[in-house]
Amino acid sequence: MWRAVGVYRLISLVYAAVIIVRDHERYAHPNGGLAVLAVMAAWSALATAAYARVPARRPWIAGVDVAVAMALVLATRLVDTAARIDHGAGTLPLCWAAAPVLACAVAGGPWAGLTGAAVVSVADLLERQALPRNTFNGIVLLVIAGTVGGHVVRLVLRAEAALDRAARREAATAERQRIARDIHDSVLQVLALVSARGRELEGEAAELGRLAGEQETALRTLIALPPTPAPDGRLDVRTLLEPLAGDRVTVSCPAQEVLLPEAAARAVAAATGEALDNVRRHAGPDARAWVLLDDEGEAVAVSVRDDGAGFPAGRLEEAAAAGRLGVAQSIVGRIAELGGEADVTSAPGRGTEVELRVPRNEVEHHGR
Amino acid sequence: MDADARSGETRPETVDADARSGETRPETVNADASSGDTEPETVDAGGPPRLLVVDDHPIWRDGVAERLSAAGLPVVGTAGDGAQALRVARATRPQVVLLDLHLPDLGGAEVTRRLLAADPSVHVLVLSASGERQDVLDAVTAGATGYLTKSASLEEVIAAVRSAAAGEAVFTPGLAGLVLGEYRRLGGAPERETPRLTNRETEVLRLVAKGLTYREIAERLVLSHRTVQNHVQNTLTKLQLHNKAQLVRYALEQGLG
Repeated sequence: MWRAVGVYRLISLVYAAVIIVRDHERYAHPNGGLAVLAVMAAWSALATAAYARVPARRPWIAGVDVAVAMALVLATRLVDTAARIDHGAGTLPLCWAAAPVLACAVAGGPWAGLTGAAVVSVADLLERQALPRNTFNGIVLLVIAGTVGGHVVRLVLRAEAALDRAARREAATAERQRIARDIHDSVLQVLALVSARGRELEGEAAELGRLAGEQETALRTLIALPPTPAPDGRLDVRTLLEPLAGDRVTVSCPAQEVLLPEAAARAVAAATGEALDNVRRHAGPDARAWVLLDDEGEAVAVSVRDDGAGFPAGRLEEAAAAGRLGVAQSIVGRIAELGGEADVTSAPGRGTEVELRVPRNEVEHHGR
Repeated sequence: MDADARSGETRPETVDADARSGETRPETVNADASSGDTEPETVDAGGPPRLLVVDDHPIWRDGVAERLSAAGLPVVGTAGDGAQALRVARATRPQVVLLDLHLPDLGGAEVTRRLLAADPSVHVLVLSASGERQDVLDAVTAGATGYLTKSASLEEVIAAVRSAAAGEAVFTPGLAGLVLGEYRRLGGAPERETPRLTNRETEVLRLVAKGLTYREIAERLVLSHRTVQNHVQNTLTKLQLHNKAQLVRYALEQGLG
């Protein structure tokens, strides 16, 4: 930004220099013209350096900047002949006087840009003591440069900050993933080994193995990233189901992500969690459970099966008829709300199986 | 990212189905599996299968090798990276390679491919931490014969090694879920020659992923145990052939053929 202002200042300085050197013979005070040029060059160098070196003082420098431009514009009256000025000759600094306006815009935004433009315009009017067409055009351009420039600068700064934040977040996530991989590859494997060997032994060794297993689980939870929705608001169902796995619960998923609108994904995961709670409560202490996430394309299916006690056919209907709406009904309700189906099958001694099926077009529709 | 390491999803189904009689405790399975392994093809003519253990983590590698040796399985070599694994495999001719997917030099799929290229009779059994689903799938489509997570008990590993040595796919519910997902993905692809599952194969694969043993599946679908096993094996073989064909086509397109 500041570099752009500096470049503009340099180019406009060169332009003004060419004009002054060409015309100074015709001025009332030729040496005065050269003196103005010298001040412009000196101030250009000083201001450009100051803006770059002391960023904290930029508003002050911009104020001085505007004052210098104003003085040099007014100096035109002293240096040039009245006839030439009335005939429409430009001010001595020409478009160099717009550089402070741009500096104001960059330093302080559209309002500062507008203020700078107003001050320089007042100088123009005082110098001219009239409002010919080209001066009017110059003022309009100054105002536009000040306000639009300031506005664009604001936008750019905001975009840069957002980009910066995103980059930092991405770097943090990548770093966290790297650490997670490292832990996965080192500490967790040793803990798993200790836990596995401990389980094969008895007494204190078994206790140590059990503790190692607990730490393994805790560490895994710690390094797992929380489920975050994609920019389009969809969430990978796998990231919600995986944490449900445990000693007696197996979760099987595809290698590819399984995306659903966030609300639907969370409802499916909640229903799955309830089904697993049911297994823990009713299927018996030794029951194991398997969760399968199957992405059929048009629909997403989740199956929760256990090898526990099971119950006779018709039990659910009896319970419903008696006015007891059990957990099974709450699962069915949750999924029906999404436009999907839930199916519970069981037989005594054969375990229970809950099948959830959520059609994609239904939930996408619900999501809107 | 860590779904199945804790999940105990490690029962090697091929042996499991035969060896146990309906108990749910892994301990019972193991006791049965190590003593009552009656399937003729799981018993190699030359005695217990010779093993190579590949893992970059020395504590883990030596621990596993030691325990397998103590259990009577000859560990003929160990390796800490892919290149070393290929060298040791050439020198020691193992029948089963227990392969960790996370190696410092080569990817698990690449090691699998090269091991099989050097010796097509070798069986690669992936024994890896979880949370590397795509890596597991890649290794299996590259020709690995099965997958166990590192939380598997020693008996489960031994049973899986014996199945692998007999050329059987070692299917866990987690692997079945991955393979099923891969077919779903391929099913959405527009190409004509992608492999598809028959309805029966889909059914069987889903049941394996839901944790049913082959025996239970056979009972439920009124099939023989051998038929169930063939269906499962087919699902894997089709993927592996497809993978190979794709590699050949890629090589031809690149002018490497």
